[in-house]
Amino acid sequence: MPYWYYDKKDLQNTPSFRDAITTETENRYRKEGARFIIDTGSKMDLGYNTVATGVVYFHRFYMFHSFRTFPRYITACCCLFLAGKVEETPKKCKDIIKVAKSLLTEQKFASFGEDPKEEVMTLERILLQTIKFDLQVEHPYGYLLKYAKCLKGDKAKLQKMVQMAWTFVNDSLCTTLCLQWEPEVIAVALMFLAGKLSKFEVLDWNGRNPKHNAWWDMFVEDITMELLEDICHQVLDLYSPQPQSSGGDSPPAPSPAKQPKNEKKPPSITPPTSASPVAVVVSKPILTPMKNGADIKVDPPKMEPIRYTYPAYPGMPAYPAVYTAPPPSIPPPPRLPLTGPPPPSLVYAEPPPAPPPRFPPVNVPPPNYFPPLPGRGPPPPGPPPRPYYPPP
Amino acid sequence: MSGASTSTSPPMASISDVNTLFQNAKKYEELNVIGTGAYGTVYKARDLHNGGNIVAMKKVKVALTEDGIPLSTLREIALLRQLEAYRHPNIVRLLDVCHGGQSLERDQQLVLFLVFEHVDQDLESFLKRSQSPLSHGVIRNMSYDILSGIDFLHSHRIVHRDLKPHNLLVTCSGRVKLADFGLAKTYDTDMKLTSVVVTLWYRPPEVLLGTSYNTAVDVWSAACVLAQLHTRKPLLPGASDSDQLHCIFRLIGRPSRSEWPDNVSIMLDSFPEYQPQDLAEVLPRIHFQALELIKGMLVFDPAKRLTALDCLEHPYFTDEPLM
Repeated sequence: MPYWYYDKKDLQNTPSFRDAITTETENRYRKEGARFIIDTGSKMDLGYNTVATGVVYFHRFYMFHSFRTFPRYITACCCLFLAGKVEETPKKCKDIIKVAKSLLTEQKFASFGEDPKEEVMTLERILLQTIKFDLQVEHPYGYLLKYAKCLKGDKAKLQKMVQMAWTFVNDSLCTTLCLQWEPEVIAVALMFLAGKLSKFEVLDWNGRNPKHNAWWDMFVEDITMELLEDICHQVLDLYSPQPQSSGGDSPPAPSPAKQPKNEKKPPSITPPTSASPVAVVVSKPILTPMKNGADIKVDPPKMEPIRYTYPAYPGMPAYPAVYTAPPPSIPPPPRLPLTGPPPPSLVYAEPPPAPPPRFPPVNVPPPNYFPPLPGRGPPPPGPPPRPYYPPP
Repeated sequence: MSGASTSTSPPMASISDVNTLFQNAKKYEELNVIGTGAYGTVYKARDLHNGGNIVAMKKVKVALTEDGIPLSTLREIALLRQLEAYRHPNIVRLLDVCHGGQSLERDQQLVLFLVFEHVDQDLESFLKRSQSPLSHGVIRNMSYDILSGIDFLHSHRIVHRDLKPHNLLVTCSGRVKLADFGLAKTYDTDMKLTSVVVTLWYRPPEVLLGTSYNTAVDVWSAACVLAQLHTRKPLLPGASDSDQLHCIFRLIGRPSRSEWPDNVSIMLDSFPEYQPQDLAEVLPRIHFQALELIKGMLVFDPAKRLTALDCLEHPYFTDEPLM
């Protein structure tokens, strides 16, 4: 059986690294790919499980292949496409591509080649082989809710804390944490972080046992403070300003003859600091606006190095004010015009007591993702459906 | 064929050049055909990346849809992979899953390879080879193994649907492992294209009658297998669908009118009023608790049949410790 966890040394020596892509750049590519899966999934009303599964496939895929060989946005699409099927929330390949196109700049979309659907279909098989058909992936979300049920304390504060932890889990998808630790461990660590930042101290919990020093001892053995801090830092690092000069927008094509598609690509017009491939207000990292999660936006900490002076817990440093407030009270990111309609309501303003009905009926055709423009009738009939494989 | 092996190969030119990927990563060498079924073919193969370890490689053809590999197939493989994490002793190990690249792409087909541990014999050949009746101890252990495997599948909401001696594997230490489950939906698409005769002897009445069915089907099939452990010959060797029903009713009696399901096209009156046979005569020298157990499993109404868990808790297994 495949084993999907790596130590930090393995995470450095990746196929991309061996392909002369710096770790810094690779991490940016991973972050952009993950963010793109999140954005595409959100736009298509896919649930958090499907999105997270897609992101995990994405991270696993690049433990075996270089970003130079496989452009990240098309891999991301393929991961979301496959995750949709595995999580029984299927989306048509062409619809995913349509959304991708709307989210990406023309230059970035050029990596999809002349027949994007065919590329994604081919990549699906490479992806399946790479992840060894190990399709079922567990995520921290379920554990978060399970753990929260056992904690005692002020209900409102607990809820705020879980909401914040949920958002951290969303954002953790942009790190390689899912390649390092089991979802249980990530859930514990990010709940610990949320507890610290929302000043919710867990003093008592159901099922407490004199042998337990902390609530998580009940669920996961041998979690050290060092480990918790390491995980928390990896997530908090997402919110610090990115260095400006980490590699190009796309890895250079290894050989123009072999990869003509990339050759065409002009340099990026999107500033590389953007955490999202979506052309929104840049220079401020956007916290994940994930469907079913809290839509929040956070300014980067003003004093970037503060986290390096992060003292041992529990003496938390004063975090930038934004962290002391729970995510729900933070306005959602202005995706488009700032004067637009009021922010969408938070679907998960509080964690659901039970898994929500996240699956649309499988046989129902997917909803129209793009609301028709006013005064426009149904789309004109297109050409007849093409056979999937063109005749030789 | 694993991704791991591909990472050491030089970067590929383009993602459409999949065949290079798979050629570079050839991992299994096919030796000979073990069996051919409705679903496809099983090969004995050598795992070249693993010291030439012998494996059983099942080749399943999957019809590709407009949107790639069908959802049902992906779900089934995901579940099989997930089950593997439990390493249940009565379930055959699934070692690897891979696919054969694009060779048949023009037929809109993908060839999947499911790589299982290789077990030398199945229960069918085991029973054929055994010269004398099996001892009570052996029968009881094998029965328990079979039911444990079934209970495990059922607890993961998998219905085997096709339990028979041919897909029960017997290890060299005499343990039984279930094989060939979990791909029912994947097979379905392929089975329509083949006309392989599927054995009916282990089919429960609800399947033969075409009514809806559930996990109870496996308990019926297991009962037929358990009986066969005692006699070393099939309990209900019907020659056709309708003959199979006649065989069943000759043994357990024709069901009453109230038991007969409403939604079947076959009339109850098309069967003579068979009276139930004494199972003790059919299975002579059987342990009396084993007889009780099998009786509780061979019940017409699936809702009244014992469940696999009921069977495991039956006095046949609990009265004396198992070996």
